[in-house]
Amino acid sequence: MKEFWETALLGPLAALGKQVLALLPNVLAMVIILSVGLVMAWAVGRVIERVLRVLRLDELCNRLGVNAALARGGVKSDPSRIVGRTSYWLVVIFAVLAGLGALNLRPLNQFAQSFLAYIPHLFLAALILVAGHLLSNFMSQAVLIAAVNAGLPPARLIAACSRWGVQLVAVAMALEQLGIAQNIVAVGFGITLGGVVLAAAIAFGLGAKDLAKEFLERRLSDKPRDRPPDDLRHL
Amino acid sequence: MTVDAIPLTAETEAKVREIGETEILVGIPSYNNADTIGHVVRAVSAGLAKYFPRRRVVLVNSDGGSTDGTPEVVARAVVDFGAMLISDHQSPLQKIITPYHGIPGKGSAFRTIFEIARRLNAKACAVVDSDLRSITPEWVELLIRPVLEEGYDYVAPYYLRHKYDGTITNSIVYPLTRALYGHRIRQPIGGDFGFSGRLTAHYLDKHVWESDVARFGIDIWMTTEAVASGARVCQSFLGAKIHNPKDPAADLSAMLVQVIGAMFALMEEHELFWQALEGSNPVKLYGFQYEVGAEPINVNVDRMIANFRQGLKDLESIWRRMLAPETMEGLLLLRDCPPQAFRIGEDQWARVVYDAAASYHHRVMPREHLLKALTPLYLGRTATFVLETQGLTSAEAETRVEALCQAFEMRKRYLVDRWGAVLSDERRVAAPGWQAEAKEVTR
Repeated sequence: MKEFWETALLGPLAALGKQVLALLPNVLAMVIILSVGLVMAWAVGRVIERVLRVLRLDELCNRLGVNAALARGGVKSDPSRIVGRTSYWLVVIFAVLAGLGALNLRPLNQFAQSFLAYIPHLFLAALILVAGHLLSNFMSQAVLIAAVNAGLPPARLIAACSRWGVQLVAVAMALEQLGIAQNIVAVGFGITLGGVVLAAAIAFGLGAKDLAKEFLERRLSDKPRDRPPDDLRHL
Repeated sequence: MTVDAIPLTAETEAKVREIGETEILVGIPSYNNADTIGHVVRAVSAGLAKYFPRRRVVLVNSDGGSTDGTPEVVARAVVDFGAMLISDHQSPLQKIITPYHGIPGKGSAFRTIFEIARRLNAKACAVVDSDLRSITPEWVELLIRPVLEEGYDYVAPYYLRHKYDGTITNSIVYPLTRALYGHRIRQPIGGDFGFSGRLTAHYLDKHVWESDVARFGIDIWMTTEAVASGARVCQSFLGAKIHNPKDPAADLSAMLVQVIGAMFALMEEHELFWQALEGSNPVKLYGFQYEVGAEPINVNVDRMIANFRQGLKDLESIWRRMLAPETMEGLLLLRDCPPQAFRIGEDQWARVVYDAAASYHHRVMPREHLLKALTPLYLGRTATFVLETQGLTSAEAETRVEALCQAFEMRKRYLVDRWGAVLSDERRVAAPGWQAEAKEVTR
């Protein structure tokens, strides 16, 4: 009975205790790394934000139109704050990965290595999405103004189509960068874009063939319009 | 500050050395103007022979690589002085026909003309467009003599125009230039100017030749630089200006981008100058003035109002970013009014233009978008002008232009305040002064 007690119950418990005792320094190291990492992340974020404010990054971005673009994209923070918060989260991520590495557990190490290798893809995908969002806003505004100036009644619809078109391209590119269902994304995007173009061509061909004819005639020949223009001269 | 000499072709260099020096130089920029430039060259040649027979004179054609034989037409153009009753013609006309370097555009063509004028030490210069059909020899005298004999540095043209000819000039360029720089120059972007050798050197010393000025905006740039540099300015009455027809509806927003964009950019360059000025002074006008009756012409007011209203519907969020809230509220009242009651008044229009200028300065959105978004607003104001001046002669319609200019001058304080106001992102934190003033006017 005693032997059974020692081999069946105390043995595993002792082994577990040994494992825990062996792991304790690693856990302690992880806690220390995480704590120091969080403090460093906070400090780095604050310092970078302060330095950028002193360097008047916000004013520079304002002059370059970045603030307006961010506001149009629904981003309320100013550029210094955004860079500061991004730095904070980058340090936090590295601290977490370093902390997990300190545990010295094979699955966690493999995960950390895979994650580190994946970070550039994540970063690029995020960059593509942000750039796509800003570009889509810029494009849709330009298209909206041009369509209104041309007197096209569905100006907002045309602008919305251009916005979603650019965002669709950006999302497809981001997903491809992340390696998510690459074939499905490529085929889906091709079918969607082809369908949109075909639909637009059919709609334009059937519904606005006179407009298209007049436009092409004006572009390709010197033939004057059938409809007499205003005699008013702007310049 | 001086800049390096602009390179000329070897042939032009040789011709300039051969001529050595001149008193008068007339420049004609061109690009594929073979149909009209012969008439312009003959008019200039006759004008120089008739009015300046004893002066050394040079004609410069600065061409942008025409493929229709424009330079050959210039070279071949001759005047029958006998038929013109010109007998006292002692100084032969020297012609320089040269391609220009740099960004394609009228500005680069002018730069080459200015450089040749500087090298030839010309005392008085003039530039005239190459597509003119109404130019007469008298134009040369009217553009050159005030410089040569009256000591002026800059001669702006004053044309006889139909009340609906030049509506961008009437509704924006003239009122804004006059309110900003204090000179009542009626045609600041006329295209045909006279200027002194001193002013030529000043123009060449400016570092603008690689910018948009070289492509377009050269006319308003020349006028603005002249007044802002303190040059003596006058005007000459040239009669009607008739040039090659262009589709008036084509690229209106592109025209606005070019002209108003150049004006707003110049406002930034000369902000200290114009902010210190108040009111305006008349500018001496030379030449024999006359009037003709205004023929009725076809203007589609309903289409202009419809375009404005579509802007109000679709561009409201954009206009709200570029216009002050009070200005925007005034425009919203025009959404449903009957066409005959449609009015964008003088004061309201002045505020629209000043708001747009301040927003351009503060970069509340991409500048090209801002300028293009002005198109429906401009059409709304033009529709107002047409509705107000139907049945009036061009001279009577001029009183409405004068009222608009006075509104721009009275509102200038508003512009100065908004120009200096601190804008936070897209939300304005305006100085209390202009807000109170705007509310006062709204009441």
